[in-house]
Amino acid sequence: MRETWVVGAASTRYGRLPDSGREAATRVALEAMDRSGIDPKRIGQTYVSNAFGVAERQAHIGPLINTALGIPDVPSATIESACSSSSAGLHEAFVHVASGFADAVLVVGVEKLSHLDTLTATSYFAMGADYPFETRNGATFPGLYATLANVHARKYGTRSEELGAIAVKNHANAARNPHAHFQKEISMDTYLGSPIIASPLRLYDCCPFSDGAAAVVVAAREVVGAPSAEPLVIRASARAGSIADMQDRPELTGLAATQTAAVAAFRQAGIGPEKVDFLEVHDCFTIAEVMALEDLGFYAKGSAAKASADGETARDGKLPVNPSGGLKAKGHPVSATGAGQVVEIFEQFNHEAGARQVPRTEWALAHNVGATGGSCSVHLFQHR
Amino acid sequence: MTLEEAKTAGHTIAAFRHAYEEENRLLGFRSGCGFVTATWGLVCPSCGQRDLAEVELSHGGQILAFSVQTVPSDEFLNEAPYAYVVVELDGGGRVTGWIASIAKESELSVGERVEFVSSYKPGVQFRRVASAGGTR
Repeated sequence: MRETWVVGAASTRYGRLPDSGREAATRVALEAMDRSGIDPKRIGQTYVSNAFGVAERQAHIGPLINTALGIPDVPSATIESACSSSSAGLHEAFVHVASGFADAVLVVGVEKLSHLDTLTATSYFAMGADYPFETRNGATFPGLYATLANVHARKYGTRSEELGAIAVKNHANAARNPHAHFQKEISMDTYLGSPIIASPLRLYDCCPFSDGAAAVVVAAREVVGAPSAEPLVIRASARAGSIADMQDRPELTGLAATQTAAVAAFRQAGIGPEKVDFLEVHDCFTIAEVMALEDLGFYAKGSAAKASADGETARDGKLPVNPSGGLKAKGHPVSATGAGQVVEIFEQFNHEAGARQVPRTEWALAHNVGATGGSCSVHLFQHR
Repeated sequence: MTLEEAKTAGHTIAAFRHAYEEENRLLGFRSGCGFVTATWGLVCPSCGQRDLAEVELSHGGQILAFSVQTVPSDEFLNEAPYAYVVVELDGGGRVTGWIASIAKESELSVGERVEFVSSYKPGVQFRRVASAGGTR
């Protein structure tokens, strides 16, 4: 396999996009390509993710983006894997480049949902679950993760205040991130005073519906020459799945897909969790950050919530987790989220993260989950 | 698919829905490995065998997990608050469903006995069985 790098990355601010998704995706793609220094003629493929494009009455967005980028002859495909769509695109880009099938690949994720009301957006999000066997029986996305949170709490004693500490931490990080949807800190009192959405999850346990777009350019080391920014060396790109419906899974305190992808990723990279300096993990709800840290192998089952409440995962803690603010507070523009995590790692590796800069940037991990773990991506990046 | 066709075609999603909506039945499949599921499939997700036998699932069971929903999707707009439940049925098989008029987590408990109830409302609906206690 060829050594494969992320050589350019760019993102909109998450929140409410004035542009259409198509315009925002094209703008960040051009910014990422400019940042990479790669000749656009070397782009061999574009992978676009836009799971809820139908909300804008638009599908087949790839050729529109490529045409607007001046590369109409480049093939494109749309990749949908619910909330892990653009990390699935990154994986396919890695496979293309590492195998020699393409020298460079553009990965773009975009979502625009802010023009929908909460009821419609909640209904759209629930489409990532199993409609006849979960959603039709009353499941919503917060409801499914809340069910997992209750099982986790029952088995391990996970407390509301521990989940709240994760929300407070991620808001503190997002307050220092110009890309973030919520650029404000919250207190534990604010968290505890927020309404229940799906018990035990409160409003501040939940990520927002965000608009946003993010793009990364992946290229073979041998074609890059002198990179214009410090690249991320992709040391592992692993994907895995779980039984789609929660009720048929043998275990409900974690996500098997995360566990499987993590084992594969650490094996590919030839390292263990102890080498990783910081993480961007899939915290669509605070309980998801707890499960991620345990399933990825950073904490024993039942211990991540307490460690988080003790400050271990703060920006200046032992293991910074979601320095961007995570899905929880940076925001969750579904199909942009996976690529956006890589943008954060790119900025951290290039020491461009300003007030949220983490101290060590040799190794980083990105973890992105589709729905309730039916699909999952884990990427490991190393400093050159 | 017509209702008549749904009744006779076992391996269809429509048959699952027709069973609980029209026939007061919970349909399931038992794999050769013993795995019982109330979810549609052609191959057992547990062992990979294809010999899935249609089985009648029990109407009674225990709450394995639940969450009280206050912000519903469009189909449940008029039902909130309610409890979304995962029920371990007597005799095997887990099914998801909902219990009406549950406003607080303290009103329900894991291990509590529930039973499937025929309803004109969406989805698989359960109700609490008053005579049996849970771990409240």
